[in-house]
Amino acid sequence: MKTVNHTPMKFVSWQWTLAVLLLLSSLLTACGGANNSNSNIGNQNGSNAAAGEATPAANNGNSSQEQTPTAPSGKVVVYTAGPEGLAAKIKEGFEAKYGITVEQFDGTTGKVLGRLEAEKSNPVADIVILASWPSAMAMKQEGWTQGYPEAANVDKLQPDWVDSDYHLFGYSASALGITYNTKLVSEPPTDWSDLTDPKWAGAVNIPDPSLSGSALDFISGYLNDKGEEEWSFFSQLKENGVAMSGANKEALDPVITGAKSIVMAGVDYMAYSAKAKGEPVDIVYPASGTVINPRAAMIMKTSPNLDNARLFIDYLLSDEAQALVTGAYLLPGRADIKADNRTNTEDIKLLDYDWNWMSEQGEAISAKFLELFK
Amino acid sequence: MSKSYRGELRFPATSWLMLLAFLLLILLVGVPLVMVLLHSLFPDSVFDMLAPFKVLSNPGLFSYFWNSIVLGAWVVLGSTLLALPMAFLSARTTIGRHAWLDVVLIIPFMTPPYIGSMGWILFMQRRGFAEQLFPAAAKLTPHFFSLFGMVAIMSLHLFPFLYLILRNALQRIGGSLEEAGSVHGGGVFYMLRRVVFPLLLGSYAMGALLIFVKTIAEFGTPATFGRQIGFYVLTSEIHRYTSNWPIDFGTATSLASVLLGACLVFWYIQNIISRRYQYNTLGGKGMRTRILPLRGWRAVLGWGYTIGLLLLSIAIPYFSIIATSLQKLRGDGLAWHNVTLAHYGELLRPGSKGWQALMNSLGLAGIAATVAVLIGLFLVLQMGSMKRWTERGLDMLSLLPNTVPGIVIVVGLILFWNAPWMPLPIYNTYSMVVLTYVVFYLPYSVQYIKASASQIDGSLLQAGKVFGGKPLYIFRRIALPLLVPGVLAGWMMTFTISARELVASLMVLPPSMQVTATYIFSQFEQGEVSLGMAMAVVSVGFTTLVLVIMNHLGADRK
Repeated sequence: MKTVNHTPMKFVSWQWTLAVLLLLSSLLTACGGANNSNSNIGNQNGSNAAAGEATPAANNGNSSQEQTPTAPSGKVVVYTAGPEGLAAKIKEGFEAKYGITVEQFDGTTGKVLGRLEAEKSNPVADIVILASWPSAMAMKQEGWTQGYPEAANVDKLQPDWVDSDYHLFGYSASALGITYNTKLVSEPPTDWSDLTDPKWAGAVNIPDPSLSGSALDFISGYLNDKGEEEWSFFSQLKENGVAMSGANKEALDPVITGAKSIVMAGVDYMAYSAKAKGEPVDIVYPASGTVINPRAAMIMKTSPNLDNARLFIDYLLSDEAQALVTGAYLLPGRADIKADNRTNTEDIKLLDYDWNWMSEQGEAISAKFLELFK
Repeated sequence: MSKSYRGELRFPATSWLMLLAFLLLILLVGVPLVMVLLHSLFPDSVFDMLAPFKVLSNPGLFSYFWNSIVLGAWVVLGSTLLALPMAFLSARTTIGRHAWLDVVLIIPFMTPPYIGSMGWILFMQRRGFAEQLFPAAAKLTPHFFSLFGMVAIMSLHLFPFLYLILRNALQRIGGSLEEAGSVHGGGVFYMLRRVVFPLLLGSYAMGALLIFVKTIAEFGTPATFGRQIGFYVLTSEIHRYTSNWPIDFGTATSLASVLLGACLVFWYIQNIISRRYQYNTLGGKGMRTRILPLRGWRAVLGWGYTIGLLLLSIAIPYFSIIATSLQKLRGDGLAWHNVTLAHYGELLRPGSKGWQALMNSLGLAGIAATVAVLIGLFLVLQMGSMKRWTERGLDMLSLLPNTVPGIVIVVGLILFWNAPWMPLPIYNTYSMVVLTYVVFYLPYSVQYIKASASQIDGSLLQAGKVFGGKPLYIFRRIALPLLVPGVLAGWMMTFTISARELVASLMVLPPSMQVTATYIFSQFEQGEVSLGMAMAVVSVGFTTLVLVIMNHLGADRK
């Protein structure tokens, strides 16, 4: 096996390769259709067989692009930005209730958006769930989504957790707090500004706003509340050694193991669930207020399985799914349901922010923050 | 290698098959790469020859390029420092008699780099395993999270390449050349300078440039460790621009073109150097190598080095991975009461997400390996005696994926198969993953099968013809059985590597599907690190087991 790995390619006629590569570009158009089908028949057959074994839903996988937009089929394609455990439970629950297969892509807000953009020419998603409300608003603005005013229980949602055209459904939410390791921190900070104290130098993580929609919401919400000159606050954080560290879980894990002491602007449900598991962490909500970001579920305008997509939204707002939401330590989207395992929506002090402003500024703020912290 | 080719092994020798082989390779490998180049030359649909270079004039983007180059240079240095003493010990001292060392020293290279890096992160981070075992290490560990640590991790992963190359070169030099040097009055250093180093240089240049290219093409370590220390390189940024909002395929393809260009340039330099410094060290006379017996302090030093190297390259990463996979609570650290097998139970429970990922990996890798050896077999048969330029061209094109960074190929494959005019709806299906694995690892199949084919003497086939065998019969009864070991080896290699592949899986898997590598990666990002590490143990363990079993079967065959 050794020989293969490092046997050098013999570039006997290297110039020749270059010539061929250049020639290829002209051949590109010439060898379009016919040869494709020849050369890949083997591949396709082979993997169809595998697909059959892997999941029953896979039978539909290959033909998804060819379906007409409204033809009902036995599946719904959901792109969701975590939390993984809850997403899996909702998938199971929905499948059990309606007998419709859920094909699910679990990612972060950034990855879901990235995937949607990459697939723009061949869209496959029916439902998109983002962890950032402003990002969802931006999607609506750009015409990616469609409305569903008839959604069941939509009137019971928290005020402002659904938009006026019924494109965005805030079926659950997380609040951002300061999560700390209880073994390392005896006096937790009480407000965001405490984190610029040299006491916390090098001990604080913040999730990467280009990956974590909720962290982006905190940053833009904070700037919205305090005024844009408050970028100096983030510069001070940077000077105090605050590290930008991946998505929410990546930011939290070092705090659980004690590599860091604190996550700022981390989602609270992760802290609650780690705490419930017995890990040495706890969370405080800063005195000056924070951001609650509803997780927006949306139906894509191009939804190939529209009927199923609508059923999925109905399911998200049902008692059953809302119970799953509170079970995962998230804030329920419906105002008539209370969580008993965590602080409820009305008990969390909020910063003064405007979703519209945040939605407009989001991309610029994310870029500026990355430039500052990278 | 082409010179030793004497067999006239080409079945059936018609030229339309040759054409088909070319079209197949052009479609699989050529067009996607051309798509990358074209896409980067047409930013905003206007032709701009300089577009990829303009990207480099952006200071932010240039820093990724520069970081890649700097990292490559340091890793070459690091691997040299690690490999050279080991190669010397193994080629020239009694340590070399321990054949198991060669097998063990391959392990670091066979460990997927993202897993190795995670192991190091868990070991060295604040209050990580290093500090739990040796509290005094707390002073050192923060310094590890720097370029130095990244270079160390990557060097420890890649040095086995250089070690093998240098050891073989040292063994070939043989004692007689050195003795000739001392007979003519050369001192030790004179001899090293004028005899050993020049003879080693060709091999070293080859190995060093190989390491360099592997380093700048590597994705796993930059995506895990690099991101933690804020060291961004071309591969990690190409991934970011293609999979993370806001998406920018234009920049991604420009970066990919730059990376592709850099790799090809370095391959070319390597080719020149290794041709210029090629010496015939293999004479007709018998060879004797002087083996230095190790005694006293020399033995201590030699074995100390060997054991230290094994500790660093194998023991530490695997200790962290296994320890993490057994932890009940991540906050409780290393303690016997904190040990649980629950994560393995969860993984191996049929129907769990981990189990599905594992099955997906095995299924996809199995299909990819089968398709790859079939295509590889077909191609090797077309290569025949490798005398004609078409045959050599075919060989070169089929090995191209081994030269080009994986992430560049993936970007090309996505551009091609996800293009709006593409009539075959493969993208976002399982076929796409299989296709990507096949393109990635076709060179392995081709190499192994070619090696088998080159051992078949033409006279065997002529004998078949003399006795009236029809071409198909000769192929079936003479050539194929002799090719089977190569086919098996190719299958096994493709299977093992496909089952652990990360970058292609991250980028082309259909939405609802995970494989072991993406499962591990996403556990590290979003879920339970312990579960991810348990999966790492299962996946590496299982694929190694397959390797061992197939090796064993292969040995029986001979």
